[in-house]
Amino acid sequence: MSEETVDVLIVGAGASGAAFAWSLADTHMNILCLEQGDWMDPNRYPSAGMDWDLRAHGDFALSPNDRKRPADYPVNDAGSPIKAAMFNAVGGSTITYAAHFPRFHPSDFKTRTFDGVGDDWPLDWARLEPYYALNERMMGVAGLAGDPAYPPKQLPLPPVPLGRLGETVARGFNRLGWHWWPSDSAIATQPYEGRAACLNLGPCLTGCAQGAKGSTDVTYWPAAVRRGVKLRTGCRVREILVRDDGMADGVVYYDADGVERRQRAEIVVLACNGIGTPRLLLNSRSKRFADGLANRSGLVGRNLMFHPYAMVIGVFEDRLDGTQGPTGCGLMSHEFYETDRSRGFLRGYSFELMRGVGPVTTALLGGQGGWLPWGAGHHAAFGAVFDHTAGLLAICEDLPELHNRVTLDPDLVDGHGIPAPRIEYRLGENSTRMLEHGAARAKQVLEAAGAKLVISEAPMRVAGWHLMGTARMGSHPDRSVVNDWGRCHDVRNLFIIDGSVFVTSGAVNPTNTIQALALHAAETLKKNLGELFD
Amino acid sequence: MSAPLASDERSTLSSVLDELLPPRDDGRLPGAGALGLADGVDTATRTSALRPALSAALASLAAHGFSTQSKSEKLARLQALAQDAPAVFQALLVHAYGAYYTHPRVVEALGLPPRPPFPKGYDVPATDFSLLDPVRRRAKLYREG
Repeated sequence: MSEETVDVLIVGAGASGAAFAWSLADTHMNILCLEQGDWMDPNRYPSAGMDWDLRAHGDFALSPNDRKRPADYPVNDAGSPIKAAMFNAVGGSTITYAAHFPRFHPSDFKTRTFDGVGDDWPLDWARLEPYYALNERMMGVAGLAGDPAYPPKQLPLPPVPLGRLGETVARGFNRLGWHWWPSDSAIATQPYEGRAACLNLGPCLTGCAQGAKGSTDVTYWPAAVRRGVKLRTGCRVREILVRDDGMADGVVYYDADGVERRQRAEIVVLACNGIGTPRLLLNSRSKRFADGLANRSGLVGRNLMFHPYAMVIGVFEDRLDGTQGPTGCGLMSHEFYETDRSRGFLRGYSFELMRGVGPVTTALLGGQGGWLPWGAGHHAAFGAVFDHTAGLLAICEDLPELHNRVTLDPDLVDGHGIPAPRIEYRLGENSTRMLEHGAARAKQVLEAAGAKLVISEAPMRVAGWHLMGTARMGSHPDRSVVNDWGRCHDVRNLFIIDGSVFVTSGAVNPTNTIQALALHAAETLKKNLGELFD
Repeated sequence: MSAPLASDERSTLSSVLDELLPPRDDGRLPGAGALGLADGVDTATRTSALRPALSAALASLAAHGFSTQSKSEKLARLQALAQDAPAVFQALLVHAYGAYYTHPRVVEALGLPPRPPFPKGYDVPATDFSLLDPVRRRAKLYREG
């Protein structure tokens, strides 16, 4: 048992935990982060080996259920058409994200006011804007000013090159007169703050061997550790302990040797993602909190939002050099982002360019899709497709719905015997109509760009990258779990700073917003430190 | 982990690989078996739960003299395996693709440099963003918060 009581205990070293720890470090408080994974060794990332493409289906698979690393925990996602994708390590899912790094739109924080759906957030875009800008400097974001889809912003690095593939698709958008813009990408397109410049390796989703991608193990964490934050790896938290007065007392966790330990803290901060955080809260039951900690509203685990994806792939006559360049960063389109009721759904979606996939993935997708035979005919079919494809992903706003939720599985446990999360999720009607619209419009773009054949999958199955809404923020304790800076209504020294706190999902990748919210929470905590528990 | 395949099973596996991924018509590549991938597939499948079933399937094919059968007989045997033991056949196919499409000769024949992406990376030309001119002329697309 640990005797030391730390000032601040952060659970999870991913996107939000890193940003929060860095920001809070200038208080010189005693800050400790517990992370169930370990530091990653970039020398061992797949892109340094010939089997880079194969390992994307093995030890770097998107789903923890397929990957089965020691740091992973299983997720029962049998009750969802969208499977959860996450990574557990210092850096969390930023290790394997595409680094597509857009901001939300101003309207995303007021969906009830604008469109009569979802709920308004207890803060607005203007309040978050300085934290977006700070986060973009810290993560090293590349992009181009002047995008008419956003209020003006300046990013520290020039955009990633589109390559032959991206320029081909951009011309398709231009032929239709539709919006597109180079992606905001957390990728160092030039040397930046000790990070080497991107080499266009391609497989960003299996870690960046060059260190050019802005994962928090190479951005916030080195700076936070230099400022005195302690980071303990291989530590899986089982539950949050509560004092007699109802305040959080610390956590029980298993260390890297599997030994059960207790860590006391004055302030506990959860940064475990939209599935891990409700899992931990629901597993922290006591007489006072029989339904799980901080769950007086009954909303812990509810309103789970993914972004349903439509993946649409066009096959082109010419080769596109598609494996060269950041796989998920190139261009995006917000032509259909804001509500237009004539489309048959509310809110909207964005498009994100998907570059080509490697030879192994091409073969496996071809086998699954039934268009690639083995034996005679294999090479001809393969050759017609490999490096001849460009994809568009329609990222649809998911509305909060109570029945979409995370609970504890009654049977499935992780390697330490802790109940695994179970997901119950079904697509809403609005999402279904949006997916259909997105798939049809993506097909139009790809055909306008010259595609001879278009294949689509909607919803994309293993695409639950964005985990949001399961401990939402709000002003009223009956209708939300935390306030506008992540403080739990029920437990005043317990904070939540990951995607769980999202009220609505927007229609873009959420990492920039997650981190901006974490920085805002840390800054507000610092301002209120003197009277935090008065 | 399972033991390595017996020699007759491994030579049968090599013949099977040549059927799954035959020589290319342009003569640039032999079949997957002739490329020497049987050892790699043997090793890669040794930790698979399906390995015992795969070994049994290969032993059965070997007992029928698969390696010396005609092209049409081999095709019929493999189609029967795919129908009777789809999980085993699928696992075999996945491992065959994995071994084949990571082999430097195959990668080079696909028009890619026969090396990992890192550390050399790739040169992607800078983009001429005059492509954006029509987009720059548009009015704002967002709603003020």
